[in-house]
Amino acid sequence: MDRGSLQARRERLAHLTPRIGPVAFARDRVLPVAPALQPLLPEGGLVRGSIIGCQGGPALSVALAAVAGASEAGSWLAVVGLPALGLRAASEAGIALERLVMVAQPTDLSETSWATMTSALIDGFDLVVLRTTPRLRSGTARRLQSRLQARGAVLVVVGDPGQFICDLSITGLGAEWEGLGHGSGRLIRRRITLSAGGRRLPRQRQTDVWLPGANGGIEAIQSDLAVIDDTVGFKRTG
Amino acid sequence: MKAGAASLRDSPPRLAVVRCPDWSVVAAGASPHEPVAVLHANRIVARTPAAAAAGVRQGHRRREAQRICPTLRIIGHDPARDGREFEAAVRSVSEMVPRLETTEPGVLTFLARGPSRYFGGELAMARRVADLITAAIPSVRLGIGIGDGRFTAGIAAHYAAHHAADHHADHHVDRPGSPAGQPIIVAAGIDATLAYLAPRPVDTLRDIAGVGAELVDLLHRLGLHSLGSLAALPAPDVLARFGAAGAFAHRIAAGGDDCPPGTMAPPAELMVTCAFDDPVHMLDPLVFASKQLAQELHTALAGDGRVCTRLAVVAETEHGERNEHLWYRPSGLSVAAIIERVRWQLDGWIQQPGGLSGGIVLLRLTPDEVRSDDGHQLGFWGGRSEADEWAARAVARVAGLVGEQQVFVPMWRGGRLPADAYQWVSVDRGDVTEPTERLAISDVPWPGQLPSPSPATVLPEALPAEVFDATGLVVRVNGRGMLSAVPEAVSVQGRAAEAITAWAGPWPVDERWWDDQQHRRLARFQFITQGGTALLAVVEHQLWWVAAVYS
Repeated sequence: MDRGSLQARRERLAHLTPRIGPVAFARDRVLPVAPALQPLLPEGGLVRGSIIGCQGGPALSVALAAVAGASEAGSWLAVVGLPALGLRAASEAGIALERLVMVAQPTDLSETSWATMTSALIDGFDLVVLRTTPRLRSGTARRLQSRLQARGAVLVVVGDPGQFICDLSITGLGAEWEGLGHGSGRLIRRRITLSAGGRRLPRQRQTDVWLPGANGGIEAIQSDLAVIDDTVGFKRTG
Repeated sequence: MKAGAASLRDSPPRLAVVRCPDWSVVAAGASPHEPVAVLHANRIVARTPAAAAAGVRQGHRRREAQRICPTLRIIGHDPARDGREFEAAVRSVSEMVPRLETTEPGVLTFLARGPSRYFGGELAMARRVADLITAAIPSVRLGIGIGDGRFTAGIAAHYAAHHAADHHADHHVDRPGSPAGQPIIVAAGIDATLAYLAPRPVDTLRDIAGVGAELVDLLHRLGLHSLGSLAALPAPDVLARFGAAGAFAHRIAAGGDDCPPGTMAPPAELMVTCAFDDPVHMLDPLVFASKQLAQELHTALAGDGRVCTRLAVVAETEHGERNEHLWYRPSGLSVAAIIERVRWQLDGWIQQPGGLSGGIVLLRLTPDEVRSDDGHQLGFWGGRSEADEWAARAVARVAGLVGEQQVFVPMWRGGRLPADAYQWVSVDRGDVTEPTERLAISDVPWPGQLPSPSPATVLPEALPAEVFDATGLVVRVNGRGMLSAVPEAVSVQGRAAEAITAWAGPWPVDERWWDDQQHRRLARFQFITQGGTALLAVVEHQLWWVAAVYS
C-alpha cells in the first residue's frame, strides 16, 4: 500500500510530470478546435499566443469555425468591429453565446485607443476575433502580438491582416452550395476547400470541408476521412 | 393596503420631479412641428409631437416608422448631446432651487419643501419652474409632478407631461402658448399617495422606477395590472415569490421610500478630489482625471461592499466659479457611468456661452448616498470562475474606453427573420441580469423560421435591392404568394445586376396581423448569384431587400 504497484506509481508519476516539468512546449498550450479543422493545424489546435488570419469570401464563417471548439470548451470570445455577425449562425457553429461579447468599433477611434481597447480584450479573453484597422502601425501590431504571447490568448483576424504577422493563414476557396434548385429546395450545405499556410507550416495544407454543414457547424467530408486520420496520427478525434 | 402601509419606515421626502418626454429630439434641436425621431439600436427612442401625431411610437424599427410616416427624419442617438443640452434646463432651475438632482438627461428631481414655502405654495413654485425651463429651452415639452417620494412624484410628472401633450394637440390649455401643462400635485400623506398610485398600471414601474421588464410582464400575466393590486399583497409573500426586485416594486407601489433600507449617508473621507496646478480649458484632460477619481472612489466603496447611488460632482474655476450637480442612478454608479456623467456636466458647462471665465482648477466627486452592493452590477456574468472574472474586468475596462453603449452581449428574442432571432443588447441595460435569462431559448419550435444553416452575415441595415426577370422587369409577389416571373438577376444597392444561378422561395411571413401598428407581410427568398454568393432576400410591399448573406 505504501509503495503501490508499479502501475500505480507510474500513474502517479504521469500525474506529477506536468506540474514539475520545467518546459511547456508551444504545442502543449493549445485550445481545442473542431475535428474537421485539425488536419490544417500543425499542433491539432489553436496555439496560445498565435495570430490566425482568415481570408477569402467565407472568411467570417472560417473564423467562427476556428474558434467554436475553444468557445464550447469554456473560453470567452470577444468580437470587435463585426456588427453584422449572425448570432444564430454563430450558435449553430458551436460558439457559446453566453461567453460572447461584441465591441462595436467606433469609426473615429484613434490608433492608440484601438490598441488600448484590443490589449484590454487580450487581457481578459482567450479568443479575440477582429477586423484590423488600416490606421494600425507595425510597431503597435508587434506590441499587441507580444502581449498576446504573454497572456496566451488567440487572435483571429478576419480579412486583410494588415500589419499583423499571421502565424497561420487559412483561405477558403471554391465555395459550392448544395440543396438549392430552380425554384425548389433550400441551402443545405456548402463545400469549401480550406488552404492553410504560414510560418509554422513547411508547405500548404489543404482539406475539403462542409462549412456550414447541414446542421450549421463545420464537418469533415466523409471521403477524405482516411487522409485526415493519417495526418493526425495518434491524436483522437471527437 | 394595510400591509403596505405598515411596512413603511419614515414617510418619504416630498419631492418635485420635472420630466421632459422625448428629450433626445429636443436636444437634437428638432422643431416640434417637423416629424423627427431619434434612433438607437434600430429602435425609435424619442420623437417629436408631429411624428407622434403621425403614429410613430417608441420601440418602432426604422423601417416600420418610415412606413407609417414617410417624411420622418431620423437622427442618431447621442447620449453626450442629451446630457450637454440638458445643462441649460438644469442651470435655469438652479437659480431658484439648490441641490438639483439629475437621474438621466430629461429628468430633474429636487426637494419641494423649501422652494414651495419661498414661492408661495407648490403650485406657484411648479409654474415658476416650468416658466424658467421653457424660457431657457423654448421647444421643450415638460410635465411637473410633486408628491411623497421619488416614484409618486415621477408618476405625477409622467402623467402631467402626457396631459400637456394631449391638450396641446387638441385644444388650448388653461394657459395658452405654454407647452407645459398643469402640474400634478399629489397631496401629502400616505392615504392620498396610495389613492393616487392605486389605479396606475404596473408598467409605470418599468418606465419610471426602472424595474425590470420581465418582472412587469410577469405581474401582468399574474393578473396584477394596477399598482393597487400589487400593493394589496402582503410584503413577505411578495419577497418570497419575486425576490429583491419584487420587494422593491411592492415597497414603492405602496407609497414607500424608494431608497433601500440599507442606504446611509457616507462618511466624508470618501470624497475624492483632483486639483490642477495649471488651469485646464479642455474637456479631455478633465474626463481623463475623472477616470482616475471614479476608479479611486469605486475601489474605496467596493472595498467594503458598497456602491454609490447618488453622486455630487463639483468643478471650480480659477476665478471661483462653481458648478455642482447631483447625479442619481438607482442601480448604482459604475466607473463608466460616473465618467459619462462628469463628461455631460462639464461639456454643458464649458459650452455654455459666457459660462466660465477661466480654466478649471478643481474637480471633486462626493458620494452623497451609498448602499450595500447587492451585486447588481456584475450579476449578469453568472458563474464565478476565474475566466469569467477576467472577462468581466476586461468588459468594464473596454466600456470605460469606448462607452457602455458600444459593448454588446447577445440576447435571444425569437423571430422569423435572421435579424430578429437574436439581438445585441448593450451591457449597461439593467434588465440583462444574467446569461441564462437573456439566452433562455424556449424549447418550442418557432414556426416559419428558416431551417439551419443560418447566414453568417446579418446586415444591421437591410440593403435595398432589385430582382429582375428574363425581360428585365422587376419580379413581383402577389398577395397569395405567387411570383410574377422567374427571377433571373439581382442588383444590390444599385450595383450592376448579377445573374441568379439557383433560387428558392417565396416563403411568406404574415406576422402580427392582429396589430395594425406592427403587422408585417413579407416573403423570403434564397438566391445564389453567378459569383457564388448566397443571399437571403426579402420582399415587402413590393420592395426588395437583402437581409443577410451566407458568407
